[in-house]
Amino acid sequence: MPWNLLWRNLLGHPIRSLLTVLSVMVAVFLVSVLHAVVSGLDRTIDAAASNRLLVQSAVSLFVNLPLGYQQKLAGVPGVEAICKWQYFGGKYEQDKGGYFAQFGIDSATFLNSYPEISIVDGSYEEFAKGRTACLVGTELAEKYDWKVGQTVPITGSLFQRTDEKPWEFTIAGIYTSNSAAVDKQTLWFHFDYLHESLEQGGASGPRGAGVYMLRIEKGADPVAVQRTVDAMFENGPQRVQTTTEAEFNRQFLSMLGDVPSMLQLVGGAVLFAIFFAVLNTMLMAARERTRDLGILKALGFSDGVAAAMLLGESMLVCCLGALLAGLLAIAIETPMAAATASFIPGFGFDRTTLWLGTGIALGTGVLSGLLPAYRAARLTAIGALREVV
Amino acid sequence: MAVPITLRSVTKTYRRGGESLRVLDELDLLMDGGTFYALMGPSGSGKTTLLNLCGGLDQADQGLVQVGDTDLGQLASGELAKWRAANVGFVFQGFNLLPVLTARENVELPLLLAPLSKAQRRAQAERVLELVGLKDRMDHKPRELSGGQEQRVAIARAIATDPQLILADEPTGDLDRTTADSVLQLLQRLNRELHKTILMVTHDPQAASYADKVIHLDKGKLGRIEDNRQAAADAKRN
Repeated sequence: MPWNLLWRNLLGHPIRSLLTVLSVMVAVFLVSVLHAVVSGLDRTIDAAASNRLLVQSAVSLFVNLPLGYQQKLAGVPGVEAICKWQYFGGKYEQDKGGYFAQFGIDSATFLNSYPEISIVDGSYEEFAKGRTACLVGTELAEKYDWKVGQTVPITGSLFQRTDEKPWEFTIAGIYTSNSAAVDKQTLWFHFDYLHESLEQGGASGPRGAGVYMLRIEKGADPVAVQRTVDAMFENGPQRVQTTTEAEFNRQFLSMLGDVPSMLQLVGGAVLFAIFFAVLNTMLMAARERTRDLGILKALGFSDGVAAAMLLGESMLVCCLGALLAGLLAIAIETPMAAATASFIPGFGFDRTTLWLGTGIALGTGVLSGLLPAYRAARLTAIGALREVV
Repeated sequence: MAVPITLRSVTKTYRRGGESLRVLDELDLLMDGGTFYALMGPSGSGKTTLLNLCGGLDQADQGLVQVGDTDLGQLASGELAKWRAANVGFVFQGFNLLPVLTARENVELPLLLAPLSKAQRRAQAERVLELVGLKDRMDHKPRELSGGQEQRVAIARAIATDPQLILADEPTGDLDRTTADSVLQLLQRLNRELHKTILMVTHDPQAASYADKVIHLDKGKLGRIEDNRQAAADAKRN
């Protein structure tokens, strides 16, 4: 088998080969990114804790629940602790275009309910003590070069101060997380600070709590707790929907639409287009190689070798594209993960994604090379030489 | 061992556009091993078809084509390919070198089908390139060579596996007179010194004069056979 011919033929048309390799690279990279997004979303859902339930309004996530519910929820058998979550939706003064989530939470129960979180700078005690204190994730602190003790001005949109000034939160601690369930780009502050501001007329916005997180006692049946809670508020004043954390995450993501299906559709369309691009290139290459194939066959090379030459060239192009896509993915994984951490904490090119990219490249190579290879195998030496001589 | 070629009642018909064209018609011909033959005749007389049949590139519709002890009609496509690789060297009018390979790599191509190591292939390619006077050009690609040099590389490729039969289809058709003469002298030397059986298709009487015998074909049938050696010997006697 004249292996050197594969390379030489590729290098014989450097621009065409380069463009084809680059198109495969872009396609494989794009599909890998889309797969990484879907995997990241799945990982985020899968990483959810099984001992945490979330209680939200049965009407919508955007309808708050009365604060009085907390006492009733505390009485449900199996509930160990409760932590309110209130989405704040503010914007950092210094970075109008940037986005990160802010939530008001109950500092008394928050840290114990989320063992995946640990404080790497400052202290949780300082956070618990300070009325306007906040916790920020390591990636957020790194992004904005924040330090413990620094004040972060946040302009409210859902919750606006009546003096029209930004809210000011003082960083008491910087946290990290060892689970995709909690990203490292969130700012947490005291729910009580928000609530008191609303009550005292210092701010305007929706009252109540967005979500109640229930930590379940060890050995308690989460399904039973779910049923009890839902039944408890069956007749109002505000009906609730209790879900596991995983289901809550899934429902939250589904608000964006069927993201996985959409991404798979886009990826499939890209692959379809690239398949035809590579097939077209290979058919052109096969046409140009007719004389060469005739020479090889006249010299005694078999039909199988002629077919392998074109199939091999197609696979070589696609594998080079996949290799470049893999290198590109490795190079940009960290910045991409940082950029998407707020939405997809589990984003990353895992082994499955890399295998998928390789498989797609090999599959495209094989499929694109089959027809030219079949034609090459069927050529006769005389026919091939006569066609061009 | 010089191989004779035997053709008995060989018929070959091509079908083009619904019409049958009988290119070779019940042809009988015996060619001695180790002899340099020129094959002449007008266009369409069946010269190239005969060459292709002798080289196992095509198969007869009827009749026997035997090279040495091998009846080519009995070989399947894959077997014919192996037989060609081991027994035949081809030289074409348009040289038919692979443009992306160097002269040495082109010569090494048929050696890939022989049980040789990389070093052995390289050494053999260099040896035959030296034989055709092109060792100093072995790392050049075809486009960097003259027409005569390209044809010499093609001849080197044809003899690289040391086949006993060399088939040349208008090998000097694209060359000027001087270059053509040097290529023909090379073929003559291969025949005389290495005892290769050579069958060369040509339209050029001067090219045919280098052969030992000239076979004339007309409309797919055998015409006269001229014996250049005999004629030369007679001329010398007279």
